[in-house]
Amino acid sequence: MANVVLDKVVKRFGDTEVVAGIELTVRDREFCILVGPSGCGKTTTLRMIAGLEEVTAGDIRIGGESVTYKAPRDRDIAMVFQSYALYPHMTVRKNLSFALELRGLPKQEIARRIDEVANIIGLTPLLQRKPRQLSGGQRQRVAVGAALCRQAGVLLFDEPLSNLDAKLRVHMRTELKRLHQQVKSTMVYVTHDQVEAMTMGDRIVIMNGGRIIQVGTAMEVYDRPATRFVAGFIGTPPMNFFDGELREAVMLPGGLELPVPRPDLQAKAGRKVVLGLRPEHIYLHANGRQNVSKVPATIDVVEPLGHRTILTARSPAGLLQLEAEAMPGLKPGDNVDLFFDLERAHLFDQADETAL
Amino acid sequence: MNAPTPGGKAAALRTRLPFSEREAPFGYALVLPAILYLTAFIAYPFAMSVWLSLTDAQAGAQKWNYVGMDNYSKIDNYDLVANDFVLFDGKDEEAKAFAAAKKDGKVVTTPDGDRFKASLQVAGHDVPLVALKDEGDATYVATTILQDLDWQAHGGKVVAHSADSPLGFGNYGDRGEAKKAEKESLLVKAKTQLKANGTGVQQDPNFILSVKNTLKYTFGTEIIKLFFGIPCALLLHRKFRGRQLLRGLLVIPWVIPIAISGQAWLWILDSTYSVINWWLVHAGVITPQNILNFRGNPDLAMLSLVVINVWRGFPFTTVVILAGLTSIPDEILERARLDGTNALQRFAYVMAPMVRPILMVSLLFSVVFSFTDFNTIWIITRGGPYDQTQMLATYAYQVGVNAGYLGKGAAISLFLFPIMAVTVFGMLQSLRRENM
Repeated sequence: MANVVLDKVVKRFGDTEVVAGIELTVRDREFCILVGPSGCGKTTTLRMIAGLEEVTAGDIRIGGESVTYKAPRDRDIAMVFQSYALYPHMTVRKNLSFALELRGLPKQEIARRIDEVANIIGLTPLLQRKPRQLSGGQRQRVAVGAALCRQAGVLLFDEPLSNLDAKLRVHMRTELKRLHQQVKSTMVYVTHDQVEAMTMGDRIVIMNGGRIIQVGTAMEVYDRPATRFVAGFIGTPPMNFFDGELREAVMLPGGLELPVPRPDLQAKAGRKVVLGLRPEHIYLHANGRQNVSKVPATIDVVEPLGHRTILTARSPAGLLQLEAEAMPGLKPGDNVDLFFDLERAHLFDQADETAL
Repeated sequence: MNAPTPGGKAAALRTRLPFSEREAPFGYALVLPAILYLTAFIAYPFAMSVWLSLTDAQAGAQKWNYVGMDNYSKIDNYDLVANDFVLFDGKDEEAKAFAAAKKDGKVVTTPDGDRFKASLQVAGHDVPLVALKDEGDATYVATTILQDLDWQAHGGKVVAHSADSPLGFGNYGDRGEAKKAEKESLLVKAKTQLKANGTGVQQDPNFILSVKNTLKYTFGTEIIKLFFGIPCALLLHRKFRGRQLLRGLLVIPWVIPIAISGQAWLWILDSTYSVINWWLVHAGVITPQNILNFRGNPDLAMLSLVVINVWRGFPFTTVVILAGLTSIPDEILERARLDGTNALQRFAYVMAPMVRPILMVSLLFSVVFSFTDFNTIWIITRGGPYDQTQMLATYAYQVGVNAGYLGKGAAISLFLFPIMAVTVFGMLQSLRRENM
């Protein structure tokens, strides 16, 4: 059992509170992603789990045992760093075996583990090389391999893919996910890239300003964002937001009246709200759908992606983006009628930004 | 002309470019100043000093004669000389009796194979002294030891000592012969010495001393610089208040010209006003009567030079090591912590190997700096007292310029070259291996 429990963990640097008392339980063998904008405290949290950063207050438990005051080497963890942190003067094999030799493992056991790991991640032909003779992707794999060899209960990843080019990043994403299905370690993975977060994790922990905003599966945080921040952070292109007021319907600037079909809203009438609608939920054609509202708009920018096209348009309520089919046959300046899918609309309180 | 090739046409086209469009002439024009400079100020003086070293050039001489390798190493023969013959080794009273009976002693020479053995007969003891080819020589040496040398009885030993010069045992054509004679001729324990005779600088005892001094000075100071530089760099690598200030202060000895700091050192090492002596006297370590004469005592003079060189050079070593340490990414050290290293293992397995290439470069510079150092020695000791701290650079100057033997001076200075070349080559090789 290698679950990780963060119990009201606080980290302060001087007067700055970087992590503000977070509580989180990462289950055994779970692939847990910490995601958020830079400065949100996700890396600090990971480094506290690793023991590279002292905990100001609170308790960290790995496998039920408190490790708050233990040295990094005495925790059941291995870590993959953003810059890979390979020892440049050692061969790949030595990079993999270094930690094991320090722990005094027998030679045959070390050789067995290296062979096994090298097979899993395709390092076998590279074992005799030095890191500088490897490409970025290969170095990345060596770094992962070195962590895997440790057979630690918890594997920590600190933005491991951010130094790779876009194509390799997508490839490694898949590889790491497959790896998680093969090895028996709990994985805690830090990234600022919401696509990585969505695609890789069993559960996503969204952080902002040193706090955990929402924890859930990819579909949970996508479909039911807890705050306007989460709604804006998850999904590309980002959700469209319109400031408005709640009456019998949602009133938007430009005299737009959107009757959002939610019975519970009557009680909250009079509030200032933010209406959120994802680009894929704004249509060019109603196609007989129920609960859509027609909004006139002018096409501003057309960005074809191949399989879809992103349109930016001006509406009375403000600038918005929508996703249309591959060839909508539109050009900038065209006037169109857009259809807002009100069943998929999200409402947030303007003051505290929580979902209504 | 060659047969036409597919490239021939293109080559022909190229040559037809107008002169102003062609790259080669411009390229040559660009490197011309460098070539002229190298020729005039590096190659010519070097070739000139090689030529000088092959002549008997003297300042003021009308004509310089070619003398071949004479300036370097011409050994004509070896003299075997000895002193302090141990004549008796036993009980104290017997030794005293032995020494007292010197005036009644006599020399007996007997044939011994193809040689003659000379023995001393003193106070009932028969002491075999030497075995030589010539009967007269054997008798002469033994008689000299008996009659002319000063016998000292001390601690059960009787030693025959010559106050002015050691006793000559003959002249040998080559070293092997001399060594063999040294082993066979002397039948008692003695202090022996092989003296090489010749005209080259290698026969000059001061030259040999200056080579030894140069090596001592260079490698001694390097080791000390590393010994202090590594911990100092590790200390400055840590984050603490005033670190930047300390880093700045550290390099002061390195940036002050030695001509200026040398004056301060002269004052510190002064025979009368030395502040070190003042401290030692006040601390009660020494009395005013036996204060240290830093520049008058050969060992202290050498030590002073080493200290000054270390004082000047170790900031450089520290700064270079510090640069090496700073270039190690934090993440690698953090990974090493996670991998289970303690501080010492982190230093030995991770930091040291990563700093090593840059350390080799610093060592290279530092070795060249010390090896060719002239200023420090000339300012502090001028090679003194009585030539005991001469280095190759100062001795070459002393012989070539001050004494006017240009040829020998050139030969001495050229001895720097092969030693330097081997050292630098070795270091560059190890650097290359590092980068493989």
